[in-house]
Amino acid sequence: MISMNNIVKKFGSQTVLSEVSFEVKQGEMFGLLGRSGAGKTTIINILTNQLKPDGGSHKIGVTSYETGLMLDEDGLYDRLSCLDNLQVFATIYGISDKNSKDALDKVGLGESANKAVSQLSKGMRQRLALARAILHNPKVLFLDEPTGGLDPNTAQGIHKLIQGLQKQGATIFLTTHNMDEAVKLCDRVLLLHKGKIVEQGVPTEICERHDAVKTVPDLEKVFIKMTGEGLS
Amino acid sequence: MKSVQAIFVKQSKDMIKNFSVLIMFVIFPLVAFVMTHFVARGNYDIPDTMFTTMMASIFSGMALIQAACGVIAEDREKKSIRFLVIAGVKPLAYLAGIGGVILIASLISSLAFGFIGGFARDEFIAFMLVMMSGAIASIILGATIGVYANNAQAASGLSLPFAVILGFAPMVAQFNERVESFVGFFYTQQINVVVNDFTAGLAHPLTVIWLNIAVLAVLFILAYAKKGLGS
Repeated sequence: MISMNNIVKKFGSQTVLSEVSFEVKQGEMFGLLGRSGAGKTTIINILTNQLKPDGGSHKIGVTSYETGLMLDEDGLYDRLSCLDNLQVFATIYGISDKNSKDALDKVGLGESANKAVSQLSKGMRQRLALARAILHNPKVLFLDEPTGGLDPNTAQGIHKLIQGLQKQGATIFLTTHNMDEAVKLCDRVLLLHKGKIVEQGVPTEICERHDAVKTVPDLEKVFIKMTGEGLS
Repeated sequence: MKSVQAIFVKQSKDMIKNFSVLIMFVIFPLVAFVMTHFVARGNYDIPDTMFTTMMASIFSGMALIQAACGVIAEDREKKSIRFLVIAGVKPLAYLAGIGGVILIASLISSLAFGFIGGFARDEFIAFMLVMMSGAIASIILGATIGVYANNAQAASGLSLPFAVILGFAPMVAQFNERVESFVGFFYTQQINVVVNDFTAGLAHPLTVIWLNIAVLAVLFILAYAKKGLGS
């Protein structure tokens, strides 16, 4: 469904991605893990054709219409209501206004439909951004730090929603620096450090390989072992 | 077409709620009305249409440039455009949607200027034609600055000299012949040219404005090629 082969990306003289290769299967929840600045967002930007790589090739088995995107910067229209924000995209996709209302209900913002985005909390903005990403029932969903900076309750709500989308058949590509989130959600993960892949596979198997299983798989321990650095 | 419609509706709703942009479309006709009724009327040294043409030129030069560049720069700064592009919106559709709303708003203000100026029917039509053409030029210039600037603050700073020169030069030209000969190349000056002598026809002023539009379109293409709509 999604693949990258030996992708290289440089910003000036700095190499931010160095021969990155991976494959994501249809219906899979794939996690890209690493510290801030590891190159996670750059990978999403390349996969969504917002950036051109300096080397290598990449492929997504769907059209841009069939992808949904939630980025670290939400790009919402502050002066418009939640519903108006979604209706802009509903018109672009040629789907009915009912889809906008349904998407708001799914993320728990049904009662705030007519509230201006400028009046929303950070968690509500994240949920609205997610509603926009899933508005047209995309086959592939890119989520860049979907729970970054959120309280545990809101994050848990978003986790349930993402898991529900996967059950409905969506392929989900998410980036996070929260290892617990990755273990909980992802079928497979890729650990990225300074633009290079340091490990990839099923979270529990990775932890077993690196003797990092206690009562729960400890991906963070693997990360520290592989990179010599913590996450904070 | 769906994309143009989506952007047009979004921008219409946004502009109604954006006081700083909306006020520009109201304040210039309002000042023209006040000055015409309380200063020009009854004062035989001042032509009745003087403040209308003065304010219309300033409006065409200042308000529209700042509105167009402000909207585009804000959308770029907040990364809203990224989501539109990924959803399949083409740059031309985006600019048509944004430009369409600003053009219609400018036509409403122009209608107000026309009524305040008290023009006869044919004069009114000529005035609206020259205002509409001038608005297109200003929107393209505003879009060029909005595309080139890195954020809304930079766009505001960049647009100010253009807005001041294009907006105020026609007013200065009324008092200085040397300035008038130079400003004759500006699209904003053509509003003065038309209103000062409606019998001279529209061929020359419209030619000047559309030459301005051609030059500005080239500048826009260059700015777009360099920066694109992303950030």
